[in-house]
Amino acid sequence: MLSMLLNITAEGPSDVLLFFGRIHPLVVHLPIGFLLLAALAELASKKPKFQPLKNYTHYVWALGGISAFFAVLFGYFLSLSGDYNEDTLFWHKWMGIVLMIVAGICYFVSKKQLKLPFYGKPILISFMVFTIFYTGHLGGNLTHGSTYLLEYAPNMIRRMAGMPNKAIPRKKVTVLDSAEVYLDLIDPVMQARCVSCHNNDKKKGGLDLTTYAKLMAGGESGDAVLPGDINGSDLYRRITLPETHDDFMPTEGKPPLSEEEVAMIGWWIGVQAPSDGFFVELGPDEEVKSMVEKYLGLDKNQLLSKQMGPASKVVVDSLIKQGFNLNRLMIDNYFLEANFSLSEQPLTNQALATLVELKEHIIWLNLSNSEIKDGQLEQIAQLENLIKLNLSTNTITDQGLSHLGQLQNLESINLYKTEVSQGLVENIAKWPKLKRLYISESKVDSLTVEQLRQKFKNLTIQFD
Amino acid sequence: MSKYHNFMRRPLTRREMLSVCKGGFGSLAFMSLFGLTTFSCNRSSGIALDSNSDLYRGPHHLPKAKNVIFLYMDGGVSQVDSFDPKPRLAKENGQDPRKKFKVDATQFDNVGKILKSPWEFKQYGECGMPVSDLFPHIATCVDDIALIRSMTSQFPEHTNANYFLHTGSGLQGRPSMGSWMTYGLGSENQNIPGYVVLDGGLIPPGGLDNFKNGFLPASYQASVLRAGPQPVANIIPKEKIPNLQEQKLDFIKQLDNNQLDSVGEADAIESAISNYELAYKMQSSIPELTEFKEETEATKKLYGFDSDDPHTRGYAAQCLLARRLVERGVRFIELTCPKVSADRWDQHGNLKDGHEKNAHAVDQPIAGLIKDLKSRGLFEETLVVWTGEFGRTPFAQGLNGRDHNPSAFSMWMAGAGIKGGTIFGKTDEYGYRVIENEVNIHDMHATIMHLMGIDHERLTFRFGGRDMRLTDVHGHVIKDILV
Ligand code: HEC
Repeated sequence: MLSMLLNITAEGPSDVLLFFGRIHPLVVHLPIGFLLLAALAELASKKPKFQPLKNYTHYVWALGGISAFFAVLFGYFLSLSGDYNEDTLFWHKWMGIVLMIVAGICYFVSKKQLKLPFYGKPILISFMVFTIFYTGHLGGNLTHGSTYLLEYAPNMIRRMAGMPNKAIPRKKVTVLDSAEVYLDLIDPVMQARCVSCHNNDKKKGGLDLTTYAKLMAGGESGDAVLPGDINGSDLYRRITLPETHDDFMPTEGKPPLSEEEVAMIGWWIGVQAPSDGFFVELGPDEEVKSMVEKYLGLDKNQLLSKQMGPASKVVVDSLIKQGFNLNRLMIDNYFLEANFSLSEQPLTNQALATLVELKEHIIWLNLSNSEIKDGQLEQIAQLENLIKLNLSTNTITDQGLSHLGQLQNLESINLYKTEVSQGLVENIAKWPKLKRLYISESKVDSLTVEQLRQKFKNLTIQFD
Repeated sequence: MSKYHNFMRRPLTRREMLSVCKGGFGSLAFMSLFGLTTFSCNRSSGIALDSNSDLYRGPHHLPKAKNVIFLYMDGGVSQVDSFDPKPRLAKENGQDPRKKFKVDATQFDNVGKILKSPWEFKQYGECGMPVSDLFPHIATCVDDIALIRSMTSQFPEHTNANYFLHTGSGLQGRPSMGSWMTYGLGSENQNIPGYVVLDGGLIPPGGLDNFKNGFLPASYQASVLRAGPQPVANIIPKEKIPNLQEQKLDFIKQLDNNQLDSVGEADAIESAISNYELAYKMQSSIPELTEFKEETEATKKLYGFDSDDPHTRGYAAQCLLARRLVERGVRFIELTCPKVSADRWDQHGNLKDGHEKNAHAVDQPIAGLIKDLKSRGLFEETLVVWTGEFGRTPFAQGLNGRDHNPSAFSMWMAGAGIKGGTIFGKTDEYGYRVIENEVNIHDMHATIMHLMGIDHERLTFRFGGRDMRLTDVHGHVIKDILV
């Protein structure tokens, strides 16, 4: 029976073996428990109160020995899959076998109540306990990698264990220009999604993805990445396969890389997979840029991560009196929305001047149907933090809009039923973050809209 | 008589005694301050813009939606005939469902044969979402719609299911979601209530309690506007002399205030005062709102004002009104169904005829609403929700109807913060039960609130010794349908 099970063909161990092998992590905890319990019982039985235990400890040693046997057996099966660091494996295996034998000896000594010379028994049991811990530690290193245990340990302890200080994490990229191509774009993906299986201790497929050099060194089946050749790169092939495919990475049902991550890696290989240099200097086109911005979370407005203090109560009250509705937009920040569209009073220059006093606070402004004039937009231009601006149903024109060039945070502008027309093409170019534009019922013609669509690919234009 | 004693001067209660004594005059002052903000409908004047106190009314995080239009499909639309095609029903049409799957008890216990959908499905838009021939107009908007096919309810019966859908509890008496929203965010418009129900002719089973404030202050209940020449009862003042009404109201307010002084904090009186004030303002705001004079013919046509079907015209008016309410800053607008002859969507018999008539009434107006909101730029801050209280069975009730099915139904959302063209969740091959990504009513509430900027776990009201929530102890935001 066993010989049949152990029948290892050239293709690798049979499924049955691997099946039992994978039970190893489960079984392995039994001898740990039993043997430690037995050692404890031996210690306790020195006290007169626990003296009677003496007659039973050999049963516990027996349980420990038997479970150790199975742990060793299954462990051996698991080792046949060959995905482990050979050095560590060698020691783990032999320590396991030693442990099993020592457990047997302990059983024998305990059963026969043998008297060993010169503290023989305490030495034997101490050796047993040491073996348990050391073998267990090696096993942990095998599954989690040797850096796992001390990954978050204080640097002092790490140095004692001969490890380098903890790496200082790279600063979060806040502007695209400062993003390093490998360190900020590719490496984080590898670290987060791949190195758990592809590191120095656990080199699945012989591949280590912890550093650029090791990544380029490739794995069992050769180079993982061929610079400039997306289709020839095994790594790219594996992350783009259908999820159900055997070769798909990451394996074991881990969630696939996001669309942006895949596209980014593809682009990186395409530009010769450089090890360093700034992303923007590699000449990415708009599409790649916006994809990377999305990946780095730079597409969200940075403005909102700023902490804004409360607005002056006097100014707020005065604005409310002059017809504005003011709303807070978040509980932990004091950014405001100002709305004049419901006002029953006319919009005065005085009111606009008061509004400007809150220029840092106001991020949304609704001036729909407020009879605002081109000239008055000069005041609005000072509200530099505006993200959303609604100017619909007003008689404003391109000329008025030309004042608003400073609104660098603007993401959405509503020009429904206004008199803006061709001049829009020039005006829009001034708003780098603009995403949504509403120009139905305005004086814009479809030719201009076509032009806008050509020129601003990331802009959603509502025109009908 | 005892009812009137409520508002008479009464001795201090034990609690009042304690609360007055413990904080002395400070707590008295705080009470009046508190009363002022929580009980007034108007938000800008009462809100603490410059402090982070308990008086905070407003979103927790930057909202996507400022308004919600809730298109309530009263009676329960059949999912397998609208947004969840099931070819297997056609294959097994006429067979005994009990031989195919376990059939739950139904309301009328009149389980017929498996019934295929009388309508064809086609794929629409860039996303290719399948929609049945019931909704040719809504089908043109699928790229803006996030469809959830895995809704479930806990109740197989209208009244409970309606309360559950509206208030998060199957029992009568809890605050409606619209009340929670206005309580949390306040209303932007001082002349129109923050929570409006546009009554198409059918108040759903369970009655007005679906739209009530429950234990929240009474000013947060819905105001029901009827579609028609007089949208609000008694909106035209009876007094011939304009000044007279004003004087009367001032006098009533004075009396009420006197009473309030003597009894202390009393929601019934405070809300009555603010409701009188609001009603007075509505005399001018409502007629202005419901006259469609400024609307162009093209707009009206978009909604279906020129339809031959009076119910389509009626629902078109409701939808257009809804948009006008959004423009006026109303937070939560619910549309109930028009009174189509065949009894709302509840087709226990005659599915084909009934669903066709109901669909015809709402299809074009809803599509018109979405398109109009889009072109005005309102779609980016308005959330449109379309749902019934439950779904219908894939097998017939009798020969040609379908019974209630709370184990699976379809709903959709569109607009602010919604990832258009998505389909979320899955039902089994018969469309009978949810098999993937179940979404319950609490999840729906949590998601709507999330889009409005509200954290559903943080918006609470202390009642009966407990901090109550719309979602009680449940609810997960459905992130997959959000941008
Ligand atoms: C859950 C463990 C696991 C994770 C996570 C994982 N891999 Fe693998 N990988 C494996 C195994 C096992 C093999 C060897 C089996 C095979 O060739 O399919 C392998 C093999 C490979 C190979 C082929 C190496 C060679 O030369 O044969 C490449 C390339 C690879 N992985 C890339 C990746 C990338 C990129 C990621 C991250 C997106 C990743 N892997 C994440 C387990 C994993």
